[in-house]
Amino acid sequence: MFFTLLRQWVITPVENYRLFHHFTRQDFVAQFAASIGGFLWLFVTPIAHIVIYAFVFGYIFQLRALPEFGQTEFVIFMMIGYLPWFAFAEAVGKSPGLLLEKAGLITKVLFPVQVIPVVGTVVPYLTHVIGFCLLLVYLAMQGYFNLLWLWLPVIFFLQFLFTLGLVAMLSALCVFLRDLQQIVSLLVTIWFFLTPIIYPITLIQSEGARELFLFNPMHSFVNLYREIILIGEFPLVNFQIILPVAFITYLIGGWLFVRIKHAFGDVL
Amino acid sequence: MTRVSVKNLHKDFKIYERPQDRLSELILRRQKHTVFHALSDISFAVQEGKSLGIIGVNGAGKSTLLKLLAGTLQPTGGDIEIRGQVAALLELGAGFHPEFTGRKNIYLNASLLGVPDKNIIELENDIIEFSELEYFIDRPVKTYSSGMYVRLAFSIATMARPDILVIDEALSVGDLAFQKKCVQRMNEFIDEQKTMVFCSHSMFHVQELCDTAIWLDKGQIKEMGDSDKVVGHYEDFCNSKKVYHSISEDIPKEEGASTETEIKIQDCRINSLSVKSPEGKELDSLTPLADVHLEMEVEVLVEGFEGNFGFAFMKSAEEPVASFLTTDIDQIHKGPFKKGDIFTVSLTIKNFAMRVGDFYVLGGLADKTGLLWYETKFSKSLHVEPNKGVGPIIMNSEWSINQG
Repeated sequence: MFFTLLRQWVITPVENYRLFHHFTRQDFVAQFAASIGGFLWLFVTPIAHIVIYAFVFGYIFQLRALPEFGQTEFVIFMMIGYLPWFAFAEAVGKSPGLLLEKAGLITKVLFPVQVIPVVGTVVPYLTHVIGFCLLLVYLAMQGYFNLLWLWLPVIFFLQFLFTLGLVAMLSALCVFLRDLQQIVSLLVTIWFFLTPIIYPITLIQSEGARELFLFNPMHSFVNLYREIILIGEFPLVNFQIILPVAFITYLIGGWLFVRIKHAFGDVL
Repeated sequence: MTRVSVKNLHKDFKIYERPQDRLSELILRRQKHTVFHALSDISFAVQEGKSLGIIGVNGAGKSTLLKLLAGTLQPTGGDIEIRGQVAALLELGAGFHPEFTGRKNIYLNASLLGVPDKNIIELENDIIEFSELEYFIDRPVKTYSSGMYVRLAFSIATMARPDILVIDEALSVGDLAFQKKCVQRMNEFIDEQKTMVFCSHSMFHVQELCDTAIWLDKGQIKEMGDSDKVVGHYEDFCNSKKVYHSISEDIPKEEGASTETEIKIQDCRINSLSVKSPEGKELDSLTPLADVHLEMEVEVLVEGFEGNFGFAFMKSAEEPVASFLTTDIDQIHKGPFKKGDIFTVSLTIKNFAMRVGDFYVLGGLADKTGLLWYETKFSKSLHVEPNKGVGPIIMNSEWSINQG
């Protein structure tokens, strides 16, 4: 029973590739359908955020990138953490509404509902991987490239799995508990400030407090990106955390979703 | 082969007064809901090449039953066994994305129905042609009228050639021309040995399209059988309910006999309705200016019945073209009749004046005042064989040319 559900979850996008593909394309294109700015809007928001944070923290608070990261500009230091975060935050932030938006479809048409959280996660990741790649190309030209960069797709994929698990869980629970919509957007903001993205973790004085950040998987992801990209080191401890966390979240989230999806029709 | 078989099907909905009750029940395991029995003890089977109609008043459980068949709801108890691929049209255009063009939506919708893309490429033109949307297919569907929406959705669902087609009220939105096309398509469907489950408030369509019908009432099967019969009884029930609603409230009800009294109130019944030539042959089509003979057999159910009769030519269920009533005619015998009397009301139309089109004949029974209609009955569709000329009507006429 447990494994049939898991199997259903894992192979859905493969088995229903056509549907998955159409849904993804539809959601991706729909983001800027009927707007004049179109595709550009996908970049405007993250860039605007980066400019704001760079101004506040880099200029007003005079935060400088630390010697550990080879004297990199603060903006670059921040962007490496911020772009992957943005994909995560967008996917998780939208997750409570995913099934509610498609209520008409779910109650009227029989199709593998579990593709919806997958699509809901793939679309923001596809969108923001573009920005992240542009940044990497820029950094490679600046001479940052090293062989450890080959790990980046793996880590990015693990972050995707971690997000997908959360999205599946939240979207399914929100069908029964609509309050999650408000709670999740609040939690995402809190989570953002609890992850050293716009500040270096070394700003935290107490050693013990810094250890606590290891409980935040997003910190490990961000730290992996930074150390690999900027100084070519592989923080093994962070990797040891995210590897099991990503897979467990993905499987538990998916299992929960498939487990309770049959009740969606009654409630939506 | 049995395509759809349903056994002892039950569906309950849990009703929570407040949303937090659902949560507290999950956590505290204390029952906080009341149960609503949407369907109870439903059993039926549909064979290959047959079609089933589901009728009943609003809230009888028709849509719930269709959703269970389509698989978007799970039964609380009982079994549903379905052999073959199902396409369900529960809400037309449920899978459409309003910002995308009709053409893109064809692909999206087809992938929802599980049709591979390469089949759709072949079918794309057929779908567009059938939906009559050639000029609009590359425009966003949000600009479509509701009729256009339905046409596209119906075309996709039927073009996909599922083994079992489940349709909820599909025909009510389209115009008459498209309704006719849909009926044709559905008939083709049945000819191809496919199976159909169909729910509608259009009794005419149910009779026309379905072999058997189920009358649902308060979540239970009230009657199941030959669609003509079930529809007839259902119409009886609706008519009597509509007309005598206020009266039946005044009558003191005996316990448990409420439905019985509602049916007994009916004073008379139309047993049959036919359209014949003056020679007595049943007609499928009419010739302009020919004479037509309309007949209905009436059975009297109460002692001393007095009434009025009427016929009408109808373009659709709401659109009369011509009507004939006995309310102002005194020369004919309008009662009183004895209980159990069976008599035939006939009307001869001289020089049938319509030149083109399809019509139904409607027969009706009314009370003495001509205001309360007990029952109306539609004939099958009659086609007019057009003769040479233009315009919708023709008149009996005589030419002469006088020189002088």
